[in-house]
Amino acid sequence: MSDFTYRLLRTPQGVLGAAILVALGIVCTIGPAIAPADPEAMNVLGRFKPPGAQFLLGSDDFGRDMLSRLLVGARGTIPLALGATLLGTLAGAVIGTLSAYLGGRWDEAIMRTTDAVLAVPGLLLALLVANTLGKGSFNAMLAIAVAFAPGMARVTRSVALTVRRQDYVSAAIARGEGVAWVVFREMLPNVAAPVVVETTIRVAFAVMLFATLSFLGLGAQPPASEWGLMVAQARAFIHQAPWMIIAPGAAIALAAIGFNLFGDGLRDALNPRDAR
Amino acid sequence: MSVLLDISSFTLDYATRTGMVRVLENITLAIQAGEVLGLVGESGSGKSTLAYAIMRDLPANAHERGGSICFAGEELTRLRARNIRALRGARIAMVFQDPTAALNPTLTLGSQIAETLIRHRLLTREAAWRESESLLRRVDIADPQAMMHRYPHEASGGEKQRVAIATAFACQPELIIFDEPTSALDVITGARILELFGRLRAETGVAALFISHDLALVSRIGDRVAVLERGRVVETKPADTVFISPTEPYTRALVAAVPRPSRRLVHDDDAPGEAKVVQLLDISVRYGRPSFFRRRQTLGASQVNLDICEKEILGIVGESGSGKSTLGRAMTGLAAFEGEIRLRGRRLTGPGQMDRSYRHAVQIVFQHPDASLNPRQRVADILARPLALFGGAAAEIPRLLEQVRLPPSYARRYPHQLSGGEKQRVAIARAFAAKPALVVCDEVTASLDVSVQAQVIALLLALRAEHGTAYAFISHDLNLVRQIAHRIAVMRRGRLVDLRAAASIAGPDAHAYTRELTAACPVPVGEETSQ
Amino acid sequence: MTTGWLIRRCLFVLYTMLIVSIVVFAITQILPADAAVTLLGENATPAALAALRARLHLDDPAWLQYWHWLSALALGDFGTSMRTGQAVGPVMFLALTRSLVLALCAIALMLLIAVPLGISAAVRRGGPIDLLAGVVSYLGVSLPEFVTGTVLLIIFADRLHWLPATGYVPLTDDAVEGVRHLVLPVLTVSLILIAHVSRMTRSEMIDVLHAEYVRAARLKGLSASQVLLRHALRNALLPVITIVALDIGYVLGGIIVVEEIFALPGIGRALIVAIETRDLPAIQAGALIMAGTYALANFLADIAYAVLDKRIRYE
Repeated sequence: MSDFTYRLLRTPQGVLGAAILVALGIVCTIGPAIAPADPEAMNVLGRFKPPGAQFLLGSDDFGRDMLSRLLVGARGTIPLALGATLLGTLAGAVIGTLSAYLGGRWDEAIMRTTDAVLAVPGLLLALLVANTLGKGSFNAMLAIAVAFAPGMARVTRSVALTVRRQDYVSAAIARGEGVAWVVFREMLPNVAAPVVVETTIRVAFAVMLFATLSFLGLGAQPPASEWGLMVAQARAFIHQAPWMIIAPGAAIALAAIGFNLFGDGLRDALNPRDAR
Repeated sequence: MSVLLDISSFTLDYATRTGMVRVLENITLAIQAGEVLGLVGESGSGKSTLAYAIMRDLPANAHERGGSICFAGEELTRLRARNIRALRGARIAMVFQDPTAALNPTLTLGSQIAETLIRHRLLTREAAWRESESLLRRVDIADPQAMMHRYPHEASGGEKQRVAIATAFACQPELIIFDEPTSALDVITGARILELFGRLRAETGVAALFISHDLALVSRIGDRVAVLERGRVVETKPADTVFISPTEPYTRALVAAVPRPSRRLVHDDDAPGEAKVVQLLDISVRYGRPSFFRRRQTLGASQVNLDICEKEILGIVGESGSGKSTLGRAMTGLAAFEGEIRLRGRRLTGPGQMDRSYRHAVQIVFQHPDASLNPRQRVADILARPLALFGGAAAEIPRLLEQVRLPPSYARRYPHQLSGGEKQRVAIARAFAAKPALVVCDEVTASLDVSVQAQVIALLLALRAEHGTAYAFISHDLNLVRQIAHRIAVMRRGRLVDLRAAASIAGPDAHAYTRELTAACPVPVGEETSQ
Repeated sequence: MTTGWLIRRCLFVLYTMLIVSIVVFAITQILPADAAVTLLGENATPAALAALRARLHLDDPAWLQYWHWLSALALGDFGTSMRTGQAVGPVMFLALTRSLVLALCAIALMLLIAVPLGISAAVRRGGPIDLLAGVVSYLGVSLPEFVTGTVLLIIFADRLHWLPATGYVPLTDDAVEGVRHLVLPVLTVSLILIAHVSRMTRSEMIDVLHAEYVRAARLKGLSASQVLLRHALRNALLPVITIVALDIGYVLGGIIVVEEIFALPGIGRALIVAIETRDLPAIQAGALIMAGTYALANFLADIAYAVLDKRIRYE
């Protein structure tokens, strides 16, 4: 385990990504506790204040402290994006592995159908699902999971097929190992690594997608402090208070960059061949 | 005879993440005009690096530390880029190992020859095209005009290598560097290519640097042979004496490791038993997954009848696509087959019937060391599993490792911490954990250096002596098989064309294809006399 | 490229559209608001509601409703908007043409910038251009369109007043104004594309530059430009076609957001309006048309790839 952490932290991407994610994790857990002000506290006199001593990142149209809103808003964005990705990956992994295992006509049929579903652009699919399920953060999460599943099915299947072709899997079959052993003990540990890397990078995408859905009115609903929602609400005040948009926008970008970097670092760390 | 290429005290380092690595040390070689110098080395010897140093195509992290490379009086290390480009292809040409990789897949074969002519001899496109066609005729391409318009994927390996040779000879260079030109080809195709080179050399008098890992091959092709070990020239000798009287210890070890049919490694008093372990009756194997669109399935093996006796080593030889590996996979239940397999009399008609007791008796070792061990399992885990399945105990792991000449501490290692030869030993240990009656060896030494190969073969023979195991030894190297097998089965395009005792494989009554194969396998100089 | 292959691809596109239609229909019909009530209002008489339901086949089982919808579609009838009472098809297709202008401009800009950027980054690996390309690609991939668009809006429209903030002027009416209104939307959509494609181009180019045939060409004495253009580029650009085709999906998604921010009357905007007003036929038609455009674009890319790559004979 320590060997893995060492490899992870050897690359600049790994270090930077890990640092950002750790920071995000802290914010998500104790965000409200470290917020300098009450995010809900409205201050009529303190409206539209630019970043300064009183409000570190400025204040919004209700006089609320942007920094505090951001810190609390992390809980509304990151865990849900994470949940959506994990759900989507789980569903996709099951479909993809099943398809790879069944092979032949079944595999072809499943993959052609997956490709057809992928013909619906991701945001569109998420929009449609979110629209049907109704507005709200939880429904948006489900919508994103549905949008991710076909892509992850494709990735899992292609990795599973590559692993299946390796001689050590053949050696296991030649030993007379059963399906369960071959899939879980021989294949899965080698399939898991690339899939984990892909999943991490997808979380970045999920963060952006979730914020976009909230921006369009289908994700988090007011008065929740979710970053995408904050951008949507700030649109009316671009002229007076651009920081109302820049702050949550930067937060979203930072989270996405963090997951992207960490995913790149993971990819290098999990590949045992490159250790030499 | 004047000296064409004069390399003197040439030293080269590579800058890597772990520091400076010396790749070539004090290389001193010379090639006379019209002479063929063979350069022999195993992997990591630096032979390809030397070729690229001559062509002045070194990567950015290469640091030349001294010495000179003199070509026809000109010092190459101080030549300007423009002059180097004028030299390449025109006065020094190169032929690469893999003809498929060395050709641009999106350009026609004709245009790839013609561009050299246009560049160096300043011909017009039409003149270059015509000249290229006649070049193709000269290298014995069947329909030169058609071949000019083909793309690489539409030509066979042998044809592509002929195109590469035609390109190399196009501008009438003084020196051609051949980097393992036949390693990626089948034995018979490779032999034809070497014949072609011999003919062209006689016609043009070109000098050549012939790089290979195969000492036997090089000793037949070259006038002199230089042996390279880890960046140093160990010795340089005339080709006809390097095999008969090698001087240096490394060369002697190399010569000893080269498979020679005359040197039997299995002795007649170690004869196979009478009882048959495995019998193959009318075995056929089909390839290709059924899908909605593809109906055709190809036949990997067709109507093969074979049997293997107790303690016997049965060699199965053939070129690529002959079906020899397919047979191995059918025997171990990795490929569905038609026909019948009998294990000590017990009948099986499909892989589904191969139960625990069958698996106990029949094991397999694969070709590629990198792919045959699960990268996420330690050696101990890899060996513990078959022990648990087949009635051994985890306590036997140190003994298993010792049997394959590996230290017991290796049990804690992961595969990526082992060398290729060590990984193959672990794979062999894994197979022997079951104490099987038959081990299928599928090209187990094809990916290894010749000296490592000799060690692995010695190991296999020692294990056989101890356990009484039979081997189905699949290989494309006929010379190797002749050293160890009792009987040899020759496969061609899925069919068994010949089955005879190893001693009579080169005899006059062998099948025509067998004789062709035997003739194509390069036998070291001085070998014929001892047969 | 054989006719058999072509036919198989066409069949696949048709199969795709069928699945897409099922997906779109299923998703939108799962929990339908009572359409009749929406149209006639809360105070409509039961008789009027029943009559409307019968006319719109709302009481039929799901598969029958789907069949009605599909067969109408096959004849070109996309349904009637519940909001405006007009035929949905023509409106959506008109909106699509406006979106296509935006999309095609974005793709053109992307190709102009991303491909040379990726190639330069690969050829001079580790150099300043490579670093720049790396930063651009990370940023581009991490900034959602609504952030980029809004920031660009703030800088160029609000602060500098160089370009108009929102609105649309057809190019046929006033080319200059039309272009001015398109600049920011096109830039926003292109950024993600440029980031993604430049990264892919760079990695393809690096792989190709290390290929044996590039070395062989170099060692034949060809000049550096000949090696790069004639040998390396031809092979590196081929996979880029596939990537661009995939990115059209991103473009279509991004268009929804960008049209919303910059108030462009394209298909994305039409879709958002339809969603907000729960105009079911409009939602279905819009989604189907968008997905259809994507499937068609992929099909064209497949053909282009097959024509250019001599190795693809048949699948």
